[in-house]
Amino acid sequence: MSRSPRRHAEKASRGPAAFDPSKAEIEAAPPATFAEPGMALVDPLTQSELRPRANLVVRAFWGALGLLVSLGLALAAERFLADLFSRYQVLGWVGLGLLAIMSLALAVLIAREIVALLRLRQLARLQEAAALAFAADEIKAARVVAAELSELYAGRADLARARARFDADAPNVFDGAELIRLAERDLIGPLDLRARTLIAVSARRISIVTAVSPRALVDLAFVAFECVRLSRKIAQLYGGRPGFFGFWRLARAILGHLAITGGVALGDSLVQQLLGHGLAARLSARLGEGIINGLMTVRVGIAAMRTIRPMPFLTRNPPNVVEFMVELAKFTAAKEEPPAPTP
Amino acid sequence: MPKRPTTLLDELGIAAGNVLDAATGVFTPTLRLGVTGLSRAGKTIFITSLVNNLIEGGRLPLFAPLAEGRLIAARLAEQPDSGVPRFAYEKHLAALRAPTPAWPESTRRISQLRLELRYQSARWHAGFTGPQTLNLDIVDYPGEWLLDLPLLGKTFAEWSAEEFAAATAPPRDRLARPWLAITQSLDALAEASGPDAEILARAFTEYLLACRADEHALSTLPPGRFLMPGDLEGSPALTFAPLPAPQHPVRSSTLYAMLERRFEAYKSLVVRPFFRDHFARLDRQIVLVDALAALNAGPRAMADLESALAEILRAFRPGGANLLTGIFARRIDRILFAATKADHLHHTAHDRLENILDKLVDAAARRAKFAGAETRSLALAAIRATTEGTVDEDGETLPCIIGVPQKGEALDGVNYDGTTQIAFYPGDLPDFPGPLFDAGKTTSLKFLRFSPPTRDPATPGLPHIRLDRGLEFLIGDRMR
Repeated sequence: MSRSPRRHAEKASRGPAAFDPSKAEIEAAPPATFAEPGMALVDPLTQSELRPRANLVVRAFWGALGLLVSLGLALAAERFLADLFSRYQVLGWVGLGLLAIMSLALAVLIAREIVALLRLRQLARLQEAAALAFAADEIKAARVVAAELSELYAGRADLARARARFDADAPNVFDGAELIRLAERDLIGPLDLRARTLIAVSARRISIVTAVSPRALVDLAFVAFECVRLSRKIAQLYGGRPGFFGFWRLARAILGHLAITGGVALGDSLVQQLLGHGLAARLSARLGEGIINGLMTVRVGIAAMRTIRPMPFLTRNPPNVVEFMVELAKFTAAKEEPPAPTP
Repeated sequence: MPKRPTTLLDELGIAAGNVLDAATGVFTPTLRLGVTGLSRAGKTIFITSLVNNLIEGGRLPLFAPLAEGRLIAARLAEQPDSGVPRFAYEKHLAALRAPTPAWPESTRRISQLRLELRYQSARWHAGFTGPQTLNLDIVDYPGEWLLDLPLLGKTFAEWSAEEFAAATAPPRDRLARPWLAITQSLDALAEASGPDAEILARAFTEYLLACRADEHALSTLPPGRFLMPGDLEGSPALTFAPLPAPQHPVRSSTLYAMLERRFEAYKSLVVRPFFRDHFARLDRQIVLVDALAALNAGPRAMADLESALAEILRAFRPGGANLLTGIFARRIDRILFAATKADHLHHTAHDRLENILDKLVDAAARRAKFAGAETRSLALAAIRATTEGTVDEDGETLPCIIGVPQKGEALDGVNYDGTTQIAFYPGDLPDFPGPLFDAGKTTSLKFLRFSPPTRDPATPGLPHIRLDRGLEFLIGDRMR
């Protein structure tokens, strides 16, 4: 395997030397921030969909509008409080207290939103850095990615064992691409399995609800609700805890992803569409619709997985709709088992 | 076009052997892994570490069957060929695991070891078959013997001419002087006599030994049994030397004719059976190359190593695997070129070591690829004897390795006693390997030999660098 030769500063080559080992700095853990990768990712397809991409004018519009509304609200609150104080002194104090509590809670909420947004941004950065380290086969960059991934899952009891194994193995790997492969297999692999389970369960639930629901509007609402729930769950699983605004960004990324991959998915699942409209629909029209809705959920779930996963599918196969067909067929059994993963 | 190294009869024998192997391997597939390399390249250590890590379930995160938990167990199985000595795994491991660890003895003859790997396949049909077994036959033989394989395609006259031509280039010309003097004092057309042949052979052997010594570290030194005689020491088949070709046909009683007969006997009694019984029956091949020793000795040793590897690799039978023809003709479908002793360098220099290796095996790798075999180059250390660190010196940060140099190693007038630990910086490998082969340029590189690591009871298996990647390439695809 040929690897890119590392660029070295122009200098005379140095000769051999021996030192006292006490002088040697034993190499410690890599820095916790990203090293400059040296080259920018210009490929829009490898750029993470989680990155905010609003343009300046749109931002200015929303920012100014937000400020205006807050000003109005502040003015209204001030008037309202003044009113209260003028009627009854006590009522005024109660109102002030309530306002204080509300603003405090609001501050906490905002702080949580900011943390959630930062977390999404970190995931986006990780995705790009992992892809770059894998492509360039750079051990330094890969070690930074590995350290940050391990750090991301530090508080997770379900990954404790996998993480311990990974942290023990990682220092003995000296190739960037191989380290990324190891991280994907050991750290992300178990999460992938659970994400598949979540998707399969959701899809099956939707199929059943669609098949038995009395009105089309009911199952439409349920599909929307279930898709939102599935996306949130998958995001939580991979370490993004999206709040309200975070979820909007996530939803936008997922929809964007569906739009990009929609054409591909159409061709890839034409057979299933035929099956949904054909075979199952012959048996029962509702059954066919159930399968179609289930498949749509699967596609949303896969899009959510690809969007929020801390690294793109680099060395493992991404899940595809076909794998979940079997699950969908099991209408009766509501066992929560993951479908067989592709190696 | 060089002559084929085998006769039609050999080919029939090889095909018959392969059919037999295929028949017995229907239920339990066997993979024959050839471990080759010139002497002191680290074959024994590689096999010991490989077997040890598989048996003890060592740290092999990049070897998928073990890391994915599909490898159930590995154990040493009974020797498949009764005629071939067993690889002394236990003895070698004991040397490495001793209170004061020592490197095991080097390979002196062919040996073999069968490892039985029990694993669960991840394929869709694995559920029907349950756990499967793969026999891994590891074949180890002295690197010197490999140098004989090209002799199969040469006549005595051709070989003699090559030897005399090689002896004119420095540094060989100086070393060859005593042997050439004796050759000239003898009359090749005189009546054959045993003592004359012995004198000649001894002088020739001494010349070869001098070439191999550390300060020259030359590699292209056939016939291999002269350096590593095994059990044939002193037999007529090993008592010959090159002679200048006479102008006209000679009578069968002359010295020249006798040595020619012995050369042919050497080919048919020593080289061809080895080729037929072992070398032509391999499925996978790892070629270990000790580039560091050659780098120590300078550009001439590098160029010599390059030509020796080219000679050896010409004997391989690479090719894609085919279900039908595979029954008759075994082809090596994967070749791993490994630059050993990568632990003697900081990992930031491994890329450049791999570049050097790529240049050394370039021709062979291209030929193998053309024939349909997969090849890969890796810098690896079957046993990792050092740790890594950095030293700040005059405002420069030097990437160092930390370890205990072996007794007798010396640097800048300091002799090491085999107990002191040092942080060692071997010098910069160049980004492009070209100058290393150029006899006009000098490079300031020095690689010390390090003592084996002491045992770390917390981790199973011997420590290594990239052994798992090599293993994944060599046998991983057969255990999916």
